Amino acid sequence: MLLDAHELHISYGDIRAVNGVSFDLQEGELVSIIGANGAGKSSILNGIMGIVPLRKGSIHFDTDEITSLATHQRAKAGIRMVPERARVFPRLTVYENLMAGAYGLRKRIKIAKQIAWLHDLFPILKERNNQPANTLSGGEQQQLSIARALISEPKLLLVDEVSMGLMPKLVDQVFEVLKQLNRDHGLSILVVEQNAMASLKISHRAYVLETGTCVHEGRASELLEDPKVKEVYLGH
Amino acid sequence: MQLFFEQLLNGIAMGSIYALVTLGLALVYGILRILHVAHAGVYTVGAYIGLFFFQLTGSLIIAALGSMVFCAMLGVAIERFVYYPLLKYPPYVPLIGSIAVMLAIEELCRLIAGPHILTFAAKLPFPEIQLGGITISSTLMAVYCITAGVLAFLWYITSFTELGLAMRATSQDIPIADAMGINSHLIVSITFVLGSAIAAIAGILVGIYYNQVYPTMGAVPAYKTLALIVVGGLGSVPGAVIAAMLLGVAETLLIGYANIPLPRDALAFIAMIGVLMWRSEGLLGSR
Repeated sequence: MLLDAHELHISYGDIRAVNGVSFDLQEGELVSIIGANGAGKSSILNGIMGIVPLRKGSIHFDTDEITSLATHQRAKAGIRMVPERARVFPRLTVYENLMAGAYGLRKRIKIAKQIAWLHDLFPILKERNNQPANTLSGGEQQQLSIARALISEPKLLLVDEVSMGLMPKLVDQVFEVLKQLNRDHGLSILVVEQNAMASLKISHRAYVLETGTCVHEGRASELLEDPKVKEVYLGH
Repeated sequence: MQLFFEQLLNGIAMGSIYALVTLGLALVYGILRILHVAHAGVYTVGAYIGLFFFQLTGSLIIAALGSMVFCAMLGVAIERFVYYPLLKYPPYVPLIGSIAVMLAIEELCRLIAGPHILTFAAKLPFPEIQLGGITISSTLMAVYCITAGVLAFLWYITSFTELGLAMRATSQDIPIADAMGINSHLIVSITFVLGSAIAAIAGILVGIYYNQVYPTMGAVPAYKTLALIVVGGLGSVPGAVIAAMLLGVAETLLIGYANIPLPRDALAFIAMIGVLMWRSEGLLGSR
């Protein structure tokens, strides 16, 4: 088991965002957590990354317990995230954003080779190499955000609402890239998504979240056929 | 005309010193969004510790190094024990903490070293230069060279090193910098080390320049540097340096040369009011 989250509870003051959600992810799997806005999906990803504290619960990554590790230590253990709304460093150039993703790893990974691969994957980044990230369009920032996470050769990629604010055509492209990374490169990916249809299509398994609790879980292909899920999340 | 150039040279030196003190404030604001008023206290301590080591050893190098190390530790202590625990509150709470630290430092200096003005009679080992009838004294040369050296060093660090990249990333988005494996708290501490060590240099330079070290020498810089980072554009280090240089020259020329009947220290605030009215993001600020 690559990631094992047990009974996660997350609160903001008196507001309980996540109430005892458990899930896991095997190496090489692509798993989605779907649910409406405010269901607590992003809180879960931020909790795994250590950006928001857990009130209760435990997280194991790669057989180690990481519940008490600081965010940067979790990143060093091999978890990277593509945050909601990309959150690239606005006043760093595209190249500097990538190098920030490779912080502390310049000796361990082959930077030139990684950058060449990322430029293949997202050709626009090569074109924009020396532009500040805040001059990029929303879609380009999402691509940069994914590339910034990938440059470090992570063991687990967390993807937060990557479809938000993107044109439908771009959404398909981005999900196609995630599928490719998972199927061809064996990258383990946890996707948190409001766009249930797009994410279920590329996932092996999925969890359905409603106001901070998990209400369904199962194989993505079965959830796509489930009448209740269809009705609520897929708009059929 | 000769007086004009002499005053101009003095103004540039004044601006250089303002720049050295303001740097730390701009760096800290850039990364933590805190108005680090106590920085002027660190600068005062820098002058005292420099003077102490100078009297003890007679070596300005040892005085500078000792003072830089001490101030770096003081800066990190302020960050760890005052700002860090207060970061979760609105920004005026760490500001109040900072003012308290500033006053505490002044009083401690008064208690330990006494309320009187101490002299810092050292000769800076820089050459005197004659340029077409104008003499650039060795003190002025020292101020120019040291400021240029500090600025070049800082520019190199922030633009060309991995540490500098981490500093810039942290100043733009702390949680995401952490998520990239950057230990942002360590980066913040390093920022305090750099800013405080530079303040120590500024303290020693001012002590020698005016041949005076006293407990409240940080009082005027404490608020003048606040005006300078506003004029330069909050969070912009180059903006703060340019604002400091302009202010130094403007103060010296307008008041020392053109004899405008205004208190010298008012200029910084007139500039700040002007900036807030017509260009609220400052000279080089974004937003």
